[in-house]
Amino acid sequence: MKITLSVNIGGYSFNIDEDAYSELKRYLKNLQLHFAGEESSAEILSDIESRIAELFRTKLTSYKQVITIDDVNNVISVLGTPEDISDNERTSAKDKFSSPGYHRMYRDTDHRIIGGVCSGIGAYWNVDPWIIRLIFVVVTMLGGLGLLVYLILYIVLPEARTTAQKIEMKGEPVNIQNIKDSVKKEFDTVRKNMNL
Amino acid sequence: MDLENTKAQMRKGILEYCILSILSRSSCYASDIIKELKDAKVIVVEGTLYPLLTRQKNARLLSYRWEESPQGPPRKYYELTKEGKEYLADLDESWNDLVESVNLIRTR
Repeated sequence: MKITLSVNIGGYSFNIDEDAYSELKRYLKNLQLHFAGEESSAEILSDIESRIAELFRTKLTSYKQVITIDDVNNVISVLGTPEDISDNERTSAKDKFSSPGYHRMYRDTDHRIIGGVCSGIGAYWNVDPWIIRLIFVVVTMLGGLGLLVYLILYIVLPEARTTAQKIEMKGEPVNIQNIKDSVKKEFDTVRKNMNL
Repeated sequence: MDLENTKAQMRKGILEYCILSILSRSSCYASDIIKELKDAKVIVVEGTLYPLLTRQKNARLLSYRWEESPQGPPRKYYELTKEGKEYLADLDESWNDLVESVNLIRTR
């Protein structure tokens, strides 16, 4: 048994399962973000919503009165995800924005134990950060110098905050495709950690 | 080289042309345009249509009016404008030239 909600889609009223509603809401939000740069984004979204309502109405019968998650997924596949839609749009923009493979050392705070210094060094040289940490610990035990070096690096190295910086940290070129892939990877990691 | 990208570029120009062509035969609703485009396999996902329709409307190639519907809220009924018809005639010519050129190259 599921809770349903009553929604207004394009001027029509629908009963929709709770999980279907969440998925639909997420899809509409993604579309909104995708079209945010367009001149008439509100109009485009409104047209799409009307179409969604049209498609939903074909799925309801006297036996089936509620929109389910399968219906929502089906409509998404028919209308297309923002990725599907953008594949058909201005693809020339993809190639224009790209910076060459600057390779800079940053502090990788996403994977830090203390300050991200060892993670950052590891990312720069493509070495496991634990090896760097081991080196620091050994050098510290042998006379404290490691701690000093760590503090200096902590102050000197900037934190890799933006996605572009995180890509530069690994020495890869910064272009739309790479940024897309990085953000997707981060999203999936968070999703996994939250068991969504 | 990205094959999918090249194919998408080819298809993108054609889609705008097809929308105008469909409307030149008769004015209709967005859902009718979608059906024709899908039957002709010009689009895969319907979402690609809406930004294009709106852009063409903003460029005054199309216009729409709201048609009352017995079953629910009013719907947009699209038709080609005078500029749209001229634009289409230009594209028709351009398309014919293109087909001729490509055929020349392919059949040599």
